[in-house]
Amino acid sequence: MNISNCKLNTEYLITDVNAKETDMKDFLFTLGCYPGERVVLISRLPSMYVVDIKNSRYSIDDDLARAICLIEPMEADKEDIMERVVV
Amino acid sequence: MKIALAGNPNSGKTTLFNAITGKVEYVGNWPGVTVEKKEGSVKSSLNPGKRKMTIVDLPGAYSMSPYTSEESITRDFVRKEGPDVIINIVDATNLGRSLFFTSQLMELGIPVVIALNKSDMIQKKGIIIDTELLSELLGCPVVRTVSTKSMNNGLDFLIEAVQSVFDTKKKQQPLHIKGMKTDASKEEQEQIDKTRFSVVNEIVDRVERRRMDSSEHTFQDTIDRVVANKWLGIPIFALVIWVVFSISQSWLGPWLADLFVGWIDAFYELVESVLGENVHPVLSSLLLDGIIGGVGAVVGFLPLIMVLFFMLALLEDSGYMARVALVMDPYFKKIGLSGKSIIPMIVSTGCAIPGVMATRTIKNERQRRTTALLAPFMPCGAKLPIIALFAGVFFRDNVWVGTSMYFLAIFVIILGGLIIRKITGDTSKSYFIMELPEYRIPSIKRATISMLNRAKAFIVKAGTIILISNAVVHMLQTFNWRFQVVGTSAPETSILASIATPMAWLFIPLGFGIWQFAAAAVTGFIAKENVVGTLAVTFAITNFIDVEEFALISGGSDVMTVFGIGAVAALSYLVFNLFTPPCFAAIGSMNSEMESPKWLWGAIAFQLGMGYVLSFFVYQVGTLVTTGSVGSGFLGGLIAVLAMIGYVVYLMKKGSSKRMIPVAQEVA
Repeated sequence: MNISNCKLNTEYLITDVNAKETDMKDFLFTLGCYPGERVVLISRLPSMYVVDIKNSRYSIDDDLARAICLIEPMEADKEDIMERVVV
Repeated sequence: MKIALAGNPNSGKTTLFNAITGKVEYVGNWPGVTVEKKEGSVKSSLNPGKRKMTIVDLPGAYSMSPYTSEESITRDFVRKEGPDVIINIVDATNLGRSLFFTSQLMELGIPVVIALNKSDMIQKKGIIIDTELLSELLGCPVVRTVSTKSMNNGLDFLIEAVQSVFDTKKKQQPLHIKGMKTDASKEEQEQIDKTRFSVVNEIVDRVERRRMDSSEHTFQDTIDRVVANKWLGIPIFALVIWVVFSISQSWLGPWLADLFVGWIDAFYELVESVLGENVHPVLSSLLLDGIIGGVGAVVGFLPLIMVLFFMLALLEDSGYMARVALVMDPYFKKIGLSGKSIIPMIVSTGCAIPGVMATRTIKNERQRRTTALLAPFMPCGAKLPIIALFAGVFFRDNVWVGTSMYFLAIFVIILGGLIIRKITGDTSKSYFIMELPEYRIPSIKRATISMLNRAKAFIVKAGTIILISNAVVHMLQTFNWRFQVVGTSAPETSILASIATPMAWLFIPLGFGIWQFAAAAVTGFIAKENVVGTLAVTFAITNFIDVEEFALISGGSDVMTVFGIGAVAALSYLVFNLFTPPCFAAIGSMNSEMESPKWLWGAIAFQLGMGYVLSFFVYQVGTLVTTGSVGSGFLGGLIAVLAMIGYVVYLMKKGSSKRMIPVAQEVA
């Protein structure tokens, strides 16, 4: 699952950021968008997604939305892959 | 004492800078407005001790590892120029992300003071921040500020805190981050940064309480869904642009301009009566027709420009600009650009210089250079008088003349984008990401300040560059090569006419092969307002705005007859002036953003060619439609135009084949 096919207004955990440009991956990191962090999809717009990361809204295009892989927090508990404890 | 202002984009650094220094630097409500560093000194009301304090405003950055070029300005400044104190502006509504950069700044060994800005917003959002605890955990002073307010904004405490950290010389301890080292490998660095974020998260968990989670759907998100709607997005954008330009050009602007021109006319008559008959006619003509007439013709359009800047400031303050970028992104991707390219273009409708500079926020080099080439096609504020003049004189102030120029500009940009993508052979796409600022009701006060500031700059320009240009044009027109005064019977013997006439030959296929028009087009490169000024001086017309009144005072011969060209040629001349290269100052800024002589000269040639080809088609097709036969110089012009188009097609073919090679190699 990634941002382009997840549910609206639901909290997810990021499992992977597969951006083709490493610069973009680093940039997303500085925004707090990296494996283990939370993200919520706010709106689906034409070829564009509005997401909430660390209390900020960003619009990202579909290529980038597909690059950010997600998992439901419940699933993360089961698989025990997250470093961060989800409260 | 040198103080650097650093923080995340759109946290309000420049607003704070303006409030501290009393300057009026360009602000707007989207990330990436400031793209260069700016210096000022702390204003005396905040500096009772009269200490020397220089403050440097820096472009916004999310971290010490820059992503775009304007972010590297910030990193380089704090690393290399050694400021004495850093004011780190932290958006209070967004601690979790901002403190990442804070923790990096604190490792530089420079004392840091935190300005917890937008403190008024946190109450509205139901956020509680324990400032004292935050200060204790970070080990540096934290001051609440509201840089948009003029009173009780916390700036006095901020400056006090800055002075005290500077005076005490006590070393601040950076946050303890496990595994921290200076020569970390890429993997180690990633791990360090993860630890950094978790340290920051712990601090935020302790100091911040939120009543409402920010990830809930809000009214702002509903607005986003409307303005970026699949069907409404573009019509709303078109409507906004139309409102901005129709108010400035055909509604409020001309009404104010009428009023204004009355005063200029009165001033002209006053000076004329003071001079009387005793002053030498050459001197009095220079003063009246060259300087007051020429400058007056330009200044008469000032109200239009002021209204435009007022409207643009409101637009830039609202938060809508970032939404335009996301609405336009899918379309701009089709021409090889991205949504970020629209912001430089909108800024260019005010002035192309900041417009071209705004391209710094575009990461991809080819996209950045292409945007810097295309943005000046948007008619800027200085071109507004040209549009207003020709719309008024030849088209009876028809609104469609002005508006259609903006739509033609958009068409030219789309066409240009496609051509340049082909020539470069680069079809790469890049990701789009942009932070969405919150919408707010635009501040009338800020828009007024911005408008007055631009008006001041315009008047200064009119009183210097434009005044000198007009005086020079008038002198060159008054004398012949033997420095004798040219009589009214033989104006074509003047120095100006003899220089401009050979150039006018080139313009015959465009419908305005008259030396006055050629001279005006050339002085336009110094400043676009000069086009109007030079036409006023060379045709000896002082009143361009109240055309009907002019017809009355000059005994029935109106401006149109004096110009000696028809409406079609006038439209062609307008197009030529709008779509040829911008003024020298804007070309200079293209040069610094493109960082390549090849691109710069290519861009100038492209813009010249574009202006020529468009004018040619406007004049020849227009003449064919209105009179049934082609205009003068058709064949010669056609050969030139075909040669230009042919060369561009050749370059496009060459560019496409360049792209084919690597693909073929991959297949092999």
